[in-house]
Amino acid sequence: MASETRTQYQEELERLETSALGGLDLVNSALERTLEAVEHQDVELAQLVVADDDRIDGRYLEVHQALITLLATQSPVATDLRLISALLHVLKNVERMGDQCVNICKMIPLSGNEPPADPEMVKLILSMGGQTKTLIGQAKRAFAGRDVELAHDLVRQDDVVDNLNRECFRLALEIGDDADRREWAMTMLLGARAIERIADNAVDIGEQVAFVVTGLFREFEDASRPAG
Amino acid sequence: MDSTESVESPAMTEPNPEPQARAEQKGPTIAISGVGSPAAGRKRRGIGNVQLKGLGAYYGTNHAVRGVSLEFGSEKVTAIIGPSGCGKSTMVRCINRMHEEIPGARAEGEVLLDGLDLYDSAIDVVAVRRAVGMVFQKPNPFPTMSVIDNVTAGLRLTGAPRGELEDRGREALVGAGLWDEVKDRLKGPGAGLSGGQQQRLCIARALAVEPEVLLMDEPCSALDPVATLKIEELIGELKQWVTIVIVTHNMQQAARVADTTVFMLNGELVEVGATDKVFTNPDDDRTEQYVTGKFG
Repeated sequence: MASETRTQYQEELERLETSALGGLDLVNSALERTLEAVEHQDVELAQLVVADDDRIDGRYLEVHQALITLLATQSPVATDLRLISALLHVLKNVERMGDQCVNICKMIPLSGNEPPADPEMVKLILSMGGQTKTLIGQAKRAFAGRDVELAHDLVRQDDVVDNLNRECFRLALEIGDDADRREWAMTMLLGARAIERIADNAVDIGEQVAFVVTGLFREFEDASRPAG
Repeated sequence: MDSTESVESPAMTEPNPEPQARAEQKGPTIAISGVGSPAAGRKRRGIGNVQLKGLGAYYGTNHAVRGVSLEFGSEKVTAIIGPSGCGKSTMVRCINRMHEEIPGARAEGEVLLDGLDLYDSAIDVVAVRRAVGMVFQKPNPFPTMSVIDNVTAGLRLTGAPRGELEDRGREALVGAGLWDEVKDRLKGPGAGLSGGQQQRLCIARALAVEPEVLLMDEPCSALDPVATLKIEELIGELKQWVTIVIVTHNMQQAARVADTTVFMLNGELVEVGATDKVFTNPDDDRTEQYVTGKFG
């Protein structure tokens, strides 16, 4: 075979993959601060997360546009085409994960400076968040390493998050008759739901890993048909 | 190809049998399928199936094509891709026996058209080339002939009745998507047309003799993008009437026009598959490397 060709194109594609996956680091950072804001009811920190979401959106727009340009100018095919298609999905996931952090942070002022918090429920939410951060990091490693096995393992990790979410729901139901506590619990449930969605987005990235490697897209789990 | 079996082929001994007579012929035959031009409302044919069995081709001692077995389906466009020198043009030229015209060149194996061995000793090579038309990289209209004379040149050589020439020439021009552009200048010089028009004129000339198969060797490499797209659209329409095999270096063109794509390397067939599969998820790593431009 002749010598390597299209090196600039390949370098640009690698750069864009690194940049898109770097968006997951931004999300992890946003999630970490979101959890801190939840734990300490820190409204200022929550506002910072909301403002910083522009960085995630900016990353999305910048890499998305560059990928479209590559599609238009380089006519990628085969693995390159699958990679670009997958990166477009990953970017959308990154953008949605950032938005979920914003959703959580926007709820924090609603529960006031000294909410009638239930420590057990806060602990559960922090645990969900910690587990979801692990998922995000694992999704990034799976994508970068084209590791389908590691990507599939995200489903198992996501089950942990789902179980914690259900536990949150149970606690909210049992939180008592006090209206303020019930309102706080409902707000926290929405936060837990947002974290659960972030974890689902990480699993979606895992599905894209399998697509890049195998050329076949299969949902790891069909939400419309729960495992029986 | 070493077979000495006698093949009775009226189409080869009688250049232009009447359609009725053709339908009554017995025994294996090639060329002149009896179908009309697209303009005459041809029906889908289900003929023009080409099979290569262990095809090898040589230039002297240079083994250019190595044991290729492949089928080109009727009503399909097949694109042959591969780096320069991989044997794709040589392979295609074996189908209409153009390869053997080069001094020192020879072929081995079998080339079957609808089951008939085109290298059978009883086969008339002129009939083969009428059944398997070819369009080349650069448009090559006969420079001293008018547009209509260019189109009907092949018909005249095969002895078509003079009274039919103009109608069949017109049908071929319609089939090649050129009629509207040249209907007012049929007597003008063919060489006076634009490059894209000249190439479609050559396609019309090939179509006029009603081939079963049309080989296209880089037919758009000398054309601008608009002329290229016209040829590509034409290929999409023509595949209903004629089996098309196109050699191209332009992989986007292969992706746009072909139902099946064949990748060749070093004279060997590496991969054959549905075009969307070859360009999204090829089976062979060498195909992957080539289509993504990592070598070539």
